[in-house]
Amino acid sequence: MSDPSPTLTLPTPRSSPRWSRLAPVGRRLFSVLLTLLGLLLLTFVIGRVMPLDPVLSIVGPDADRSTYEQVFKQLGLDKPLPVQFAYYLGDLLRGDLGNALLTGHKVTEDIARVFPATMEMATMAIIFGTCLGIPLGVYAATRRGTVADHVVRVISLFGYSTPVFWFGMMGLLVFYAWLGWAGGAGRVDLAFDGMVPPASGFLLFDSAMAGEWDVFRSAIKHVTLPACILGLHSMAYISRMTRSFMLAQLSQEYVLTARVKGLSERGVVWHHAFRNILVQLLTIVALAYGSLLEGAVLIETVFAWPGFGQYLTSSLLLGDMNAVMGCVLVVGVIFITLNLLSDALYQVFDPRTRR
Amino acid sequence: MKHSQLLRRCALALALCGITGAGLQAKTPDDQLVIGFSMNNLLTLDPASATGNDVVEIAANLYDFLIELDPQNTSKMLPGLAESWKISPDGRSITLSVRKGVKFQSGQALTAEDAAWSLQRVLKLNLALASPWKAYGFTAGNVDKAIRALDAQTLVIDLPEPTDPKMVLYTLATSVSAVVLDRKKVMENDKNGDMGAAWLTTHAAGSGPFALADWRAKDVLLMNRFDGYWRGPAKLKRVIMRHMTESQSLRLMVDRGDLDVASGMSAPDVEAMKKNADVVVKPVRRGTLYYVAVSMKNPTFADKRVRLAIRNLIDYEGINTSVMPNYGILHQRPVQMGLPASLPNPGYKFDLPAAKKLLADAGFPNGFKTTIRVLADPPFINIATSLQSTLAKAGIEASVISGTGNQVYGAMRERNFDIIVGRGGGGAEPHPHSSLRALVYNPDNRDEAKLTNFQGWRTSFFSPELNQLIEKAEVERDEQKQTATYQEAQKLYDSQVGAIQPISQMVDTVVMRKDVSNYQGHPAATTRLREVFKQR
Repeated sequence: MSDPSPTLTLPTPRSSPRWSRLAPVGRRLFSVLLTLLGLLLLTFVIGRVMPLDPVLSIVGPDADRSTYEQVFKQLGLDKPLPVQFAYYLGDLLRGDLGNALLTGHKVTEDIARVFPATMEMATMAIIFGTCLGIPLGVYAATRRGTVADHVVRVISLFGYSTPVFWFGMMGLLVFYAWLGWAGGAGRVDLAFDGMVPPASGFLLFDSAMAGEWDVFRSAIKHVTLPACILGLHSMAYISRMTRSFMLAQLSQEYVLTARVKGLSERGVVWHHAFRNILVQLLTIVALAYGSLLEGAVLIETVFAWPGFGQYLTSSLLLGDMNAVMGCVLVVGVIFITLNLLSDALYQVFDPRTRR
Repeated sequence: MKHSQLLRRCALALALCGITGAGLQAKTPDDQLVIGFSMNNLLTLDPASATGNDVVEIAANLYDFLIELDPQNTSKMLPGLAESWKISPDGRSITLSVRKGVKFQSGQALTAEDAAWSLQRVLKLNLALASPWKAYGFTAGNVDKAIRALDAQTLVIDLPEPTDPKMVLYTLATSVSAVVLDRKKVMENDKNGDMGAAWLTTHAAGSGPFALADWRAKDVLLMNRFDGYWRGPAKLKRVIMRHMTESQSLRLMVDRGDLDVASGMSAPDVEAMKKNADVVVKPVRRGTLYYVAVSMKNPTFADKRVRLAIRNLIDYEGINTSVMPNYGILHQRPVQMGLPASLPNPGYKFDLPAAKKLLADAGFPNGFKTTIRVLADPPFINIATSLQSTLAKAGIEASVISGTGNQVYGAMRERNFDIIVGRGGGGAEPHPHSSLRALVYNPDNRDEAKLTNFQGWRTSFFSPELNQLIEKAEVERDEQKQTATYQEAQKLYDSQVGAIQPISQMVDTVVMRKDVSNYQGHPAATTRLREVFKQR
């Protein structure tokens, strides 16, 4: 997981005419589009440089020359690279990301199918990570240098540096195989598979709406373990950041003043210091959520979770560039949206950025 | 935290776990079979383009083949949709009598016209599985004439080129391309003249014992029993295939009873499973071979002495005892074991002094530098590591380049490699020609010929004498003479030191719960589940 820092928008003078107030929005929109275009171009070039042959993936290693060349042409690979890219952009403008080799479906349909699975797990993971990470971080900061602080830091370091794959295997061994508390691979017990029609794609929601409570319970049982393991990673990150934000606040003069005034420690920490790091925390949580959405690859492999991470990895290994570029586009849009969202939150909660 | 508080919280945690059904022993439903394996190679269900063993098993249950091979003895052909078949005296024509009263899952009657159309479609689309048919001389241009229905019950296949008709019958029995499609249903889904190719990628139109209910790529494939099946309904109500790539997860799920059958498990996990009394481990022998191949485009390996040295530098015994259990069994000939024409292993052994002498004679007394391309997965990578260390003993410094199948076999197709540790050799058809055509035969060694479907061409191994023997054996009508010619070809290959050195014949290990009955893993991957049930 990267440590992204929030970006700030330029302040807008209050006295400017309406069109000039819109200028930063336009500039921002332009930069967003440019970023996405750059991202697609980069992915496209990397995809073509990589020694992967999508034709071979389709025809298999034993196909003869005429079959190979026929499929090569069908995929449009006989055209020059700029032309291929131009075609791709043209289709993209029409909302068509092409067909995936992996599934034979439209990439948009595939993403719509796999994304909710990952989102469901990532949402639970971020709830777990946030609910545990923030109190732990605050606790460690208020007891700086004590044994408790060291314990939290060690937990955080352990959670951050231990491979999620190892956690997954151990989690399955202990909670699924030995104790039988958690469900095994997949989103639901196999006997329930296909019982609830995928209306929204969020199985917990769909099964609850359909009144299929057995499926709902099974889905909860399946999602809890991978979500907690994934959330452990975010918890480590969030607690580390919370601790450092809190430490910065607790050394401020207003905290000293509040203490001198006789305010309780709890009041100082939660009503004053914590309130001031809230916006920063929102940004951190939002970006951690984004990372979870696109970074759940390993946990999805261990738990045979039919999600976005697994789809992206398989597509990459096949050289299925339509699917890879579609996924990259989605990840790019997620991060840009989260960045914009965090900027907006700053403007709402921190008056200084509005000046 | 006070102790009482801690205890209270622990109790609460345990109670919460209880709500989610903690501690219950998992068990699959009695009338459903749950199979776990990696579906990474499963890209399409279209019988004209679906390659790989996984799809063969699926197709064998969704569709019917005209002929089936006995899983106990694959050289024995059993009737499928074809009740009987007859080969013309000159061996150039096969007439099959198609069973009456068979219905597709759509309710349509199945006829010889459907069978002819299904085979014609493969050639007309010219996709991946057209290759074996093209090797027999069928083309999009001649197929309408060559494969035709005389009436609703008679299918005639005229061979455009002389070949062993038995080989064609074996292909009919093992290749996904030979399943019979519901022509009407497929053509209802024709899009821009693609003969339903786009639709069949994710759908099925067959007459098999199971009907496709749902396929979500890299997730799950569901098949429901087809009650109108001509042999009578299957014993299972539903088959669930789950995409699982992690061997440890497979093992845990079989252990817990959440999976009935698992394949593609790693060797250590299979070994661990053997100790479980509730589990049965079944090895299924395949015709494919693990091999070490060199490129004779590289002048070093063009020297027969160097190839012979490499042959002496492979630790056959070590590899087969330490790396290959559950993956393969020692085999050193290009023709798979178990056929009348198979010869016993020639007994190649790791022989360092002989290899060093050969290298010195070839002008490499201190060895040379080279590369080994290999798949990053076991057992390939383990074979390559063993080879790397034994080559080093003779001074050959080989760096291992690992990659995906696409990268490794892609380089081989481009004839751009030094050494490859790989797996191949046809072998689905229990016929020597299947292996020799794939591994040894190379009718045109020019780069421009681009005979990428022949691994002989890929390694640049070119032996006109061997080609002639293979061609001669293929058309020989006298079985004894044919067997002798195939044996002669193997001996010649041995003396010419071919570019591909087989080391092991593939074994696919299936791990299943003890209560699964009648599961018969098929060497040609056409494992049929219609008779499978659970004894509980």
